[in-house]
Amino acid sequence: MSSCGNPSTESDALMSRRPKFDKSKHCVKCKVALGNIVIRHAVYCKECFFSLVAFKFRRALEPFVNAKPDGPRRTALKPAGNLLLGFSGGLGSTVLLDLVHRSYIANRKDELRRDGGKDHPRHDKVWKRVIVCYVELCDALPGRKDKISEVAEAVAQYEGVEFVPLRVQDAFDPLWWRCIYGEDAVSQLRINLENDELTSMLTNPLSTNPLESLRSYLSSLPTSTAVCSALHALTRVLLLHTAAETDSSHLLLGTSLTSLAISLIRGIGQGAGFNIEQEIQEEWLSDIRPPNFDSNDRANENQKGVRVIRPLRDVGLKECAFWAWWEKLRIVGEDRTGWPDSRQEIGGLTKDFIMGLEKDYPSTVSTIVRTCAKLSPRGEVSGKCVLCERPAQEGVQEWKSRISVRTTAQSVDATAPPLPAPLQADNASATRLASHLCYACHTTLTSRSARPPPPLYLSATKTSSTTLPVWVAPRIMRKVGEDEMRATVQEFLIEE
Amino acid sequence: MATITLSVNFSGGLETLFANRTAHTVSIPARVPVDAALWDTWPAAPESAGAPDADAVTMKPADMAYLLHHLRTRVLTARPELFLEHGTVRPGILALINDADWELEGEGAALLHDEDEVVFISTLHGG
Repeated sequence: MSSCGNPSTESDALMSRRPKFDKSKHCVKCKVALGNIVIRHAVYCKECFFSLVAFKFRRALEPFVNAKPDGPRRTALKPAGNLLLGFSGGLGSTVLLDLVHRSYIANRKDELRRDGGKDHPRHDKVWKRVIVCYVELCDALPGRKDKISEVAEAVAQYEGVEFVPLRVQDAFDPLWWRCIYGEDAVSQLRINLENDELTSMLTNPLSTNPLESLRSYLSSLPTSTAVCSALHALTRVLLLHTAAETDSSHLLLGTSLTSLAISLIRGIGQGAGFNIEQEIQEEWLSDIRPPNFDSNDRANENQKGVRVIRPLRDVGLKECAFWAWWEKLRIVGEDRTGWPDSRQEIGGLTKDFIMGLEKDYPSTVSTIVRTCAKLSPRGEVSGKCVLCERPAQEGVQEWKSRISVRTTAQSVDATAPPLPAPLQADNASATRLASHLCYACHTTLTSRSARPPPPLYLSATKTSSTTLPVWVAPRIMRKVGEDEMRATVQEFLIEE
Repeated sequence: MATITLSVNFSGGLETLFANRTAHTVSIPARVPVDAALWDTWPAAPESAGAPDADAVTMKPADMAYLLHHLRTRVLTARPELFLEHGTVRPGILALINDADWELEGEGAALLHDEDEVVFISTLHGG
């Protein structure tokens, strides 16, 4: 009941609450069966619900499977590589794995048995390999359990799926990077977080303790929001490079409609509005070439691009929960936001806000996503951010220097204690990292709160310089190839 | 006065608030006071000694609102704020009654019957 007067004095002051569905309790699709679920004011029976979710999943995925979307979709799905599925153990990714298996692995086997003729092209798998990658965060945040074995068990229930477990500290592990891109691409940077220009230097020798580097990196971040945002970015880039390593042309994420609305609003709140298109769907190309890469091989070059798709972007969290319950899927993950002593951060607050909104006004979440999908950012792209590997807006640092009071390298040098040895080793190779970062990543590293956050780890001490993830240095140091140089200056070349 | 027996299940991490047990069998009175302020003193088993006189108060059949109160006061073992908010389940927690969305039955006003199956699912781990 909702009140529109004083019920103690007026007998008719209480107004009956409006039902959450539009017409009758019967399914709006088959119009026969009694409904089992209300989805944005529409009632569906169990049977129609399953076909509706499967349809929404395919509609969001299949038009983007082929490199160029052409031809009839269902019979001619020809991806350029394998499929990598980012799995967190949460509701969305659990339902996504179930749908992928049902649509592209189990279904194909059923067809094979029914029709015979095993060599018929119809029976070819859409993706030669389907790989599930899980990034374990337990070493990054206190109070977390290691879930790798539980996740491995959950994935093992699906036949025809490979499992690749990673730990978030792999982002700081030169050995992991070397396995993908070879010896030549391995180098590491340390940055000085004392000034907003983020002076960075090559570390020599390489860090041999990835967990220590990860904890030093997270401890040196200025806010709880920055820690959550950094973990999100590390997980994303780990998945992208794993996709490159496994020759995957597609990376699927289990972001539901509700989670997508949360991440869009959170991203805008943290200064990532320029990347709103990439938050919905993105095409990622690794700048670093693997050792066996042949630049003359056109097919090889095409395979290096990874298309990141969120096939559940039209399916709400409620639908995912009902799917998982009715299909008896086991949810092994735990809530990934924050840690026991953390203050509320932007992501958590946004999540509370959107979940509350969805409960009372279920259509608003879909409106958020559809409205964000129409937005396109102003300004030119200056290149890719070396930390999150998303497009960075041109002129961000000039704009920031005009509108904010900043600490520069010179002002810090005058007052600060001497830098540790690796940072002093080779001043000639000092780089100002700020100019290679997008607005959101620069803000993550430098935007301080009036009240410092509680310490993340009891043992770790906060330092002014920290090692960066392994993909940063190779991208700053990389030599620009002849073809790339030619493409950049193409319009200025005079034909002979 | 009679009681009804319900099968209550918790999923999606909610079980951690209920002694890490996913399945519970819960008995509640078949009829409860209309005035929610009396629920705190109302016995779970109406035939127990010292039970208030049911004829003296206006009664109604047991509904989901009463079940939520019963679960919070008698079954929940930790952090009630993660389960209930403003007298109903917290946003992000879904409820099913006999395999159907409780929104179809009027949420808190949904009437409960003997041997009904009620499920609570948390969606708070989204990704």
